[in-house]
Amino acid sequence: MESIYLTIVLAPLVAAILAGIGGRAIGRVGAQSVTILGVATSFALSALVLKRMVFDGAPSFDGSVYTWLVSDGVTMQVGFLIDHLSALMMVVVTFVSLMVHIYTIGYMRDDPGYQRFFSYISLFTFSMLMLVMANNFMQLFFGWEAVGVVSYLLIGFWYTRPTANFASMKAFLVNRVGDFGFVLGIAAVLYYSGSLDYSTVFAHAQAIAAARLQITPTISWSAISFTCICLFIGAMGKSAQMPLHVWLPDSMEGPTPISALIHAATMVTAGIFMVARMSPLFELSNTALSTVLVIGATTAFFMGLLGVVANDIKRVIAYSTLSQLGYMTAALGASAYASAIFHLMTHAFFKALLFLAAGSVIIAMHHEQDMRKMGGLRKYLPITYWTFLIGSLALIGFPGTAGFFSKDALIDAVGRSHLPGAGYATVCLTAGAFVTALYTFRMFFMTFHGEERMDHHTREHLHESPWVVTLPLVLLAIPSAVVGWFTIRPLLFGGFFAGAIQVAPTHDVLGAMASEFHGPGAFLLGAIAGLPVWLAVAGVACAWLFFLKRPQLADAAERRFHGLYRILVAKYGFDWFNENVLAAGARRLGGGLWRFGDQDLIDGVMVDGSARTVGWFSSVLRTVQSGYLYHYAFAMILGLASLLMWLLWRT
Amino acid sequence: MNAFSVAAFNSGLTLATPEIFLGLAGCGILLLDLLIGDERRHWTAALSIAALLITAVLAAGVEVSGPVTALGGMFLVDAMSQALKVVALVIVAVVFVYSIEYMRHRGILKGEYFVLGLFATLGILVLISAASLVTVYLGLELLSLCLYAMVAFDRDSGRAAESAIKFFVLGSLASGTLLYGMSIIYGVTGSLELGTIAAAVQGGLATNIGLLFGIAFLIVAIGFKFGAVPFHMWIPDVYEGSPTCVTLFVGSAPKIAAFALAMRLLVDGLGGAHVDWGQMLVVLSVLSMAVGNVVAIAQTNLKRMLGYSTISHVGYILLGILAGTSQGYQSAMFYTITYVIVAAGSFGMILLLSRHGFEADRIEDFKGLNARSPWFAGMMAIFMFSLAGLPPFIGFWAKLGVIQAVLGINAVWLAVVAVLFSVVGAFYYLRVVKMMYFDEPVDAARIDGSPLMRAVLSANALLVLLLGIAPGALLVVCAHALP
Amino acid sequence: MMFETLLFFAFSAVLVGAAFGVILARNPVYSALLLVLCFFNSAVIWLMLDAEFLGIVLVLVYVGAVMVLFLFVVMMLDVNLEELRKGLAGYWPIAAVVAGLMVFAILDVVVVKHLGGVSLGAAPPLPADYSNTRVLGEALFTRYAYPAQIAAVILLVASIAAIVLTLRHRPGVKPQNVGEQVRVSAKDRVRLVKMAPEKRP
Repeated sequence: MESIYLTIVLAPLVAAILAGIGGRAIGRVGAQSVTILGVATSFALSALVLKRMVFDGAPSFDGSVYTWLVSDGVTMQVGFLIDHLSALMMVVVTFVSLMVHIYTIGYMRDDPGYQRFFSYISLFTFSMLMLVMANNFMQLFFGWEAVGVVSYLLIGFWYTRPTANFASMKAFLVNRVGDFGFVLGIAAVLYYSGSLDYSTVFAHAQAIAAARLQITPTISWSAISFTCICLFIGAMGKSAQMPLHVWLPDSMEGPTPISALIHAATMVTAGIFMVARMSPLFELSNTALSTVLVIGATTAFFMGLLGVVANDIKRVIAYSTLSQLGYMTAALGASAYASAIFHLMTHAFFKALLFLAAGSVIIAMHHEQDMRKMGGLRKYLPITYWTFLIGSLALIGFPGTAGFFSKDALIDAVGRSHLPGAGYATVCLTAGAFVTALYTFRMFFMTFHGEERMDHHTREHLHESPWVVTLPLVLLAIPSAVVGWFTIRPLLFGGFFAGAIQVAPTHDVLGAMASEFHGPGAFLLGAIAGLPVWLAVAGVACAWLFFLKRPQLADAAERRFHGLYRILVAKYGFDWFNENVLAAGARRLGGGLWRFGDQDLIDGVMVDGSARTVGWFSSVLRTVQSGYLYHYAFAMILGLASLLMWLLWRT
Repeated sequence: MNAFSVAAFNSGLTLATPEIFLGLAGCGILLLDLLIGDERRHWTAALSIAALLITAVLAAGVEVSGPVTALGGMFLVDAMSQALKVVALVIVAVVFVYSIEYMRHRGILKGEYFVLGLFATLGILVLISAASLVTVYLGLELLSLCLYAMVAFDRDSGRAAESAIKFFVLGSLASGTLLYGMSIIYGVTGSLELGTIAAAVQGGLATNIGLLFGIAFLIVAIGFKFGAVPFHMWIPDVYEGSPTCVTLFVGSAPKIAAFALAMRLLVDGLGGAHVDWGQMLVVLSVLSMAVGNVVAIAQTNLKRMLGYSTISHVGYILLGILAGTSQGYQSAMFYTITYVIVAAGSFGMILLLSRHGFEADRIEDFKGLNARSPWFAGMMAIFMFSLAGLPPFIGFWAKLGVIQAVLGINAVWLAVVAVLFSVVGAFYYLRVVKMMYFDEPVDAARIDGSPLMRAVLSANALLVLLLGIAPGALLVVCAHALP
Repeated sequence: MMFETLLFFAFSAVLVGAAFGVILARNPVYSALLLVLCFFNSAVIWLMLDAEFLGIVLVLVYVGAVMVLFLFVVMMLDVNLEELRKGLAGYWPIAAVVAGLMVFAILDVVVVKHLGGVSLGAAPPLPADYSNTRVLGEALFTRYAYPAQIAAVILLVASIAAIVLTLRHRPGVKPQNVGEQVRVSAKDRVRLVKMAPEKRP
């Protein structure tokens, strides 16, 4: 089995290297073929692995394939932990990646960086698989950083654009903040358990729970809460939870396939995956779980609101991604890990679909992303229209779609939690259903319905995208529509994640729901009567009214709630705060320290001073090297004499 | 002194197959070279390289289960000797590959360079396998004599002749002190065999003033061979004055010999007196790190700079040896091997850039290398980073190892000194990198060199990187060699 | 015993004095000759230690061959040592201090402390027919066969090195070709021509 796992990981890596350094030797077709072949291999094998585990009952695998180094008793190795959780993630990652690879052929056709792009996304697939399949923190961190690097490279893919460079730098820096917490968390794990292997660490979980972290002689923190919150800070960075979410909307500067693959379907869910993976630790800390719950719920609602005022089609989807990630995070906080992973999976499908469909629109509009210049595209782009609609319905949780099952179960699960903050979270998430529907269909109506606001030139060239673009749309639309029917029972209530995810009996909200679950049909009927569905319908209706039927109402509302509108447009001032307070403050502090510490103290006294001293010594010692043989011989004799005198003096 | 048996002697010859083969190959190539015309001199080089590689295979193939002495107790094969021999032989082969083009351009492509190189290598092997003061001395002399001749090899160069004379005179002085020290130790312990000496030292002679006196003389010779301060004076002059192909030779494989010399004499023979020679080495080590790193900064000649860099690295190698623990010996061995690999590559880069009438041995000659050849600028950067001890290059693990070794004996101040001077050292290595990447090229000539040389040099650099990422295998070799 | 001790000190004194002379003499020929004296005295001391073979070899090889060659070289090169020594004069004091320290240290350890007082016991008396040469020969070709071989390689290297460093084929120089010289016969060199006597005009 090891060779299969290795192949899954290495195929995209080899493809990335070939496409990256192959250059003209393999050409554009070569690059696309080799990377698609690589990721298709990974997908096929991942599917095989999942099938073997789920249907043939193969046991999970936990073993290392290569020991990198052993230092002070800590082993750092490359190893794989393949259980139902990682197998499912592998299939999702490779499937979406495969779709995006195919789509890219059409989307990036005229781009000079065509081969570079393929190399990057294959490299991303490799990194993400390393992250998902890791059986130890070291490899997890490697994958974590590697996907971060690729994300940075891809956001700044069009490196001639200043905005893209700014966005990539922002993503990098914000992620650094999260990674700092993450590294602290890993360090804490290592400190308390003495190992980086999941299995060993989880076996020590109780010991960590019993430990206290002494801050001062009188104050001590619970070690497990500290560890989990640090790890979660890492997840906040990667999965864009407030207040570390600011990089995600800007990341839309990258090419659209990347937005679909990295900033919607896979990489940003790494945080969710990681917390689910760490469930044996998080279960031991109510504090950490509450933190997760509240932050997730806050993100889910307030980021959704921003989607209502955004005009860039990709940014709307980006805010919806933030919001949906908030949903998943809230589920994690409520210990409904399975629910979070379920939503992660469905979200991967429909969000990738939405992004790719939006990309199709953008191609047709000649890379125009402003929805105010669209409208009425329905008749020009029929396939895109229908697939986009399926994606939108799934996103708002329209009964029957994949998103419905995952999201409705998720809200229900959070509602049953008894942790502090659960009430607030339930309100946020339920209200979020309305907001989701509102911005989704605002976008849908503004893009595909209503009057055609594009210029004459663009309208003449409007036509449906080529098959390499629409094929992935259709292939993604299918699971977006139906996957929930088949998977809700096994994933949520069938003990699918037994062994991979641990839930304390007092936290087991899904267990409570299981007794009321009588199949997806009954679930569907039961939920139709529920509040979230009706809120979603209301959201759609409002969107129709405000943005299609009577746009002037929207303008009126904008004037009426001017203050609120301003806050939303300013994105709650996070960017302003970061740039003007944190960044500027840091710059000012840095400037001051630089002038005093660097220029005067370090440069002036220490660096220049020591350099001068060293240089002086150097020139003095150089004169000893006179070139005269007898000086050299004398130095040796002197050395010998000193050794002898030292010996005599000592005895 | 057990009785001598002819049968035992003859059966021991199989253990010395590599040495015997190399000696015969040297003689054979010396004769064959007479039949080869000047224009086909590269055949001599090819034959020599083949001889080295075959010897390496033979050396790796000698099967022993533990340390075995043979040939009248003069010859020792153990895991360390096998590993060091293979490394030395391969390194010399690589050195030969780098040297061919350079010598051809200067009209000094002569068979004698390779023959002397082969005999020098034989000297290294003898030294590595020495089990007696006699073989230690003879191996050292064989090596040194070849090196003196090689340094003076380019007869039309006055500088080469000058540095050869300096090398010769100072080397003779060091040999003299070595012999004096050996005679004192023989007088005290009554034996020339390292095993017997070790037993005598363990048996209560460890604090004997006569023995320690002899050790002080040995330390001079070891310090000279390594190039440790204050016995380092020959290094900068010889490195700069010799033809670069000889500098490359002198700067690489003989360091392995020096390591073997130190291990055989100090550890195998005088391990019981570790406390005292350890303290002497502390002085040498600290001085070497200080002088080597500080003076290198003021150099403009790259060969001279690398000479001082050698001195500083010797300081680090000595750190491992003076720790006196098996962890320390392992780390010193690891350091030596990796240093030799990196040094061979660094000098190889100078050889690659040099051409007819142009030595490329000034630091300025590397300005803007990135613009001329990004690939080889990258290779040079790898070597420089590794010498500076930056992760993930191999030099980092080497430094880490010796520093851990001195921390293992609670010599924290030594570790601090080592780190401080490696920071100083980073400056001049990184200056080369800076010049390659940020300065305008002064010299725009195309970089050529035989495809073989380019391939081997690239492999050399990539090995430095690869070992830096996965140092495990080499660490295991060292741990196995010095349990 | 007394007489032998006296002899030992006498020869040692000459040895040390001659050694000083080697480095102090202004004329390099004197230095070389004083070195010969050193070797003779060392040979005598060796003889007194029952190491006859070594003593004789020292005289034969070093005095008979090496030093003669040395003298040839010194005389042919006409090196002006005064010139070379010019810079050295200022170093005498410090050199003397260091040398003094070294001598003190060696005397202290070897003479005063007797190398830490180890005693290997007196050498057993040798039988009358004991042959130094034979014992050395046996040792050299049995137990020390391996070092002897390496020494042989060292000699080979020395000769290679000497040739590499000195043998030159200069273009335009007409060297003697001994083989050709030997191979010539009289008729290649001298042609006898018969010619009629000429009349005086």
